[in-house]
Amino acid sequence: MKVSLNELQAVCRKAFLGMGFTESHAEDAADMVAWMQSHGLDGLTALSEGLECVKASALQARPEILYEDADLAVVNGQQLSVLASGNLAMELAFAKARARGLSVIKIRHCRQRQLIMGYVCRLADRGMNVTAFWRHAQSPLTEQVVGFRARSNVPFIRVYQLDEAPEENEANDGITIMMANHVDLLPTMRSEHEYALLARHDESDLLAAHRQALEEGILVLPEVWQQLKTLAGHTLVEASSTSRAGAGPAD
Amino acid sequence: MTLSSGPVTDKTLSLRPAAVVMELERLGSFSPTRLSFARRLTRLMYQSRWQINCVAFDLDEGGYGSAIYRLETAAKRYHIVVFSRYIADEQRTDRVIADTWDLTFGLVEGEVDDALLASLEANMPLQEAGRQHPRLLVLSRANRSVRNFDAFVAALCAGEQPDVAYLLEAGYLYRTTAVYGNGKFGIADYDRLRTGADFYQPFSPQMTAVYVLREFSVAQVEHIARHKNAAVAVELDLDLRRYLGIGNSTGLGMAPFLINHPQLINHWVYAREQALAVASGQSPLEEQRVHMVRLCRRAMAYFAEMRVEDSAQSVRNTVVYEELDQIVAWLDQVPLDSSLWRQLMDWAETSLSLETQELINTLLIECYPDEVDALEELMSVEEKLDLTPDMPLVQLKQLLETHFDWAIEADFEAAEARYWFWYQSAEKEEPRLGVRGEEAGEEKELALAIAPRAQRVYHAITDFLVDHPRALTIDLLLAHPEHMKAVRRIQTMVATAFGEIRANLWHRDMKPMHLLRTKLSFLGAHRFDPRGDRWVRVTFFQGAPVLSDFDDADADPALFDDWSFPIAPKQQRGLEPR
Repeated sequence: MKVSLNELQAVCRKAFLGMGFTESHAEDAADMVAWMQSHGLDGLTALSEGLECVKASALQARPEILYEDADLAVVNGQQLSVLASGNLAMELAFAKARARGLSVIKIRHCRQRQLIMGYVCRLADRGMNVTAFWRHAQSPLTEQVVGFRARSNVPFIRVYQLDEAPEENEANDGITIMMANHVDLLPTMRSEHEYALLARHDESDLLAAHRQALEEGILVLPEVWQQLKTLAGHTLVEASSTSRAGAGPAD
Repeated sequence: MTLSSGPVTDKTLSLRPAAVVMELERLGSFSPTRLSFARRLTRLMYQSRWQINCVAFDLDEGGYGSAIYRLETAAKRYHIVVFSRYIADEQRTDRVIADTWDLTFGLVEGEVDDALLASLEANMPLQEAGRQHPRLLVLSRANRSVRNFDAFVAALCAGEQPDVAYLLEAGYLYRTTAVYGNGKFGIADYDRLRTGADFYQPFSPQMTAVYVLREFSVAQVEHIARHKNAAVAVELDLDLRRYLGIGNSTGLGMAPFLINHPQLINHWVYAREQALAVASGQSPLEEQRVHMVRLCRRAMAYFAEMRVEDSAQSVRNTVVYEELDQIVAWLDQVPLDSSLWRQLMDWAETSLSLETQELINTLLIECYPDEVDALEELMSVEEKLDLTPDMPLVQLKQLLETHFDWAIEADFEAAEARYWFWYQSAEKEEPRLGVRGEEAGEEKELALAIAPRAQRVYHAITDFLVDHPRALTIDLLLAHPEHMKAVRRIQTMVATAFGEIRANLWHRDMKPMHLLRTKLSFLGAHRFDPRGDRWVRVTFFQGAPVLSDFDDADADPALFDDWSFPIAPKQQRGLEPR
């Protein structure tokens, strides 16, 4: 089935509220998912497949800060969705970059990392150059790099496969985000290791996907839509004769 | 002063303060101005030479079937598709919970081929229950005024004109009960229209669809009359056609829009206040004073004719009528002076009702079309409530004290001050009001009351600063994420001229009707006819030019522009005196 962008945002927002997210977190999470979906990046699959994790994340709006100084911050994602507290972590980095010109934040142990793009786009729109980077600890190792230039609505996205990366002792399930006020941070790969470009989305591809979504609607699976509507239903109050009176006089 | 076609702001103008303008009761006293969307539409249609023609009219003898109107602008082609179906009288309800209507209609971008028409026919009559097409820009439905409809058909098929008195009770044959845009139920997002040439202004596609429905309503009654008595039936007189509008029945569903779009409302109010400042700053010539008197007299006639069910509104209309008479006398007596309009506003502020004060403002704006019309470009805005996480918390506190003093100082603890809560019903997700502590659903309250939230943020900041005097906004939010939405809004709205509507939406004395009227005035609705506090009927396009006027090369340009406060055409039957 096809839905509009506004409809998708509204239903997602209510679904997140229905899960227990605070209002601003529900709005941001909805915008993140809808942004992904409307740019052809399948945010709804990420949401649907990780729904239990998202529900478990609903009450954790506050990022746990492990380390912080004027330029850097490390926060603990607590194995929860980036939809839960990723927005505030991003805003923390944004504040540091505004003050210092450049900042780095690492969100450790977080899930559904690709959805962070839906919030990073807002920061870019507010004049920040942003690059987000994360690795998928599968075999072979892959790296995803997402770069937004300041005032751009869409990023460059690159996914690389690394064949000869050094072994790690610790699971790399975090995101590293760099922000710079005045310097472009675009994802041009330079590595001494062997690598292959697995996927690439340029700004023009993503803009075309967005335009198509606005013109033709956004394709969603009916079962996913129903899942969201059911969650959204938790925000509604059952009708009664008293509640009908609260709508004003009848005809 | 000549204004360009782009957004216009003159910083030297003296605008009324937000503390005056944004009081809910004053906003709820607004009348439509020439910047309102309905007025703008007929100007645009005339200036841009829009062509609207009926290209299909497949109705049976009872008026049931479908019709398609084609709209050609310089940029694109659109179609307005109308489906008319029989419904039993007992099925006809204006409530949003209805599931069947006399008419369903919509505005489609591009061509309507057989496949799209079939899809529209399958889904449009279902309204909210259907899955609508992404090329549909507007989705709406309307119910008959059965009394007017039957009377008009009966008169026309008898070879007579209907009595204009019918239109004094209700100025339409159909009233819409919802006019959906912006992506509802699968239709096109407003984002898609914003960069286009025709419908970048908010509500412009909705107004267009409603305007065309008005044409259809006349064509339908004439069609039925012809089928009933082809030998005798006549067409509706041109003056009556112009005096016929389209009704709208609106409930609480409209109220959250005013709260959820503060930047847009700020722009609408800003454009209106700029226009008022431009107009009231003019040094009037005698001909402009005469014009103002003429406008006052027309408004008097309009109020004299208006019949509304609500007794309180009826009293207010009588007061406005009597005060307009005083204004005419005042304008006759006061010497023509460069500050005449300012004097008029000052006198009105101290001596006349809120509705009359705002009516004067509307009429003043009406006097200066060349100076104010470009301000209509201010009526749209890209809405974004952005956080400024690096703002020092002390600064945020000061901004709250400056711009939200009305909220910080209010008492939200008294029982009267927290009487209502807003919630969304499972019935078509309709917004409703419940009594706190008495009715179910409080735990699912909609966060529409901005003032208590601003106050809570203020207290949280004050407390946080005790231990963190150099903190930034982000520091507060990391500790109290629940305030993020309010902080975003506060940081955005303090930079606007008019900001928030100054009201406690929880208060027992709060009148939701004021919210409805505020929006309806900007849309361009006349004949404000409340049914209690939460339900209102209004009329759009009454007095507006009809399609055939646009084809008349000799038509007076004023016909397309100067049609506010419409007065009933004179008939031999005459009108009952007030």
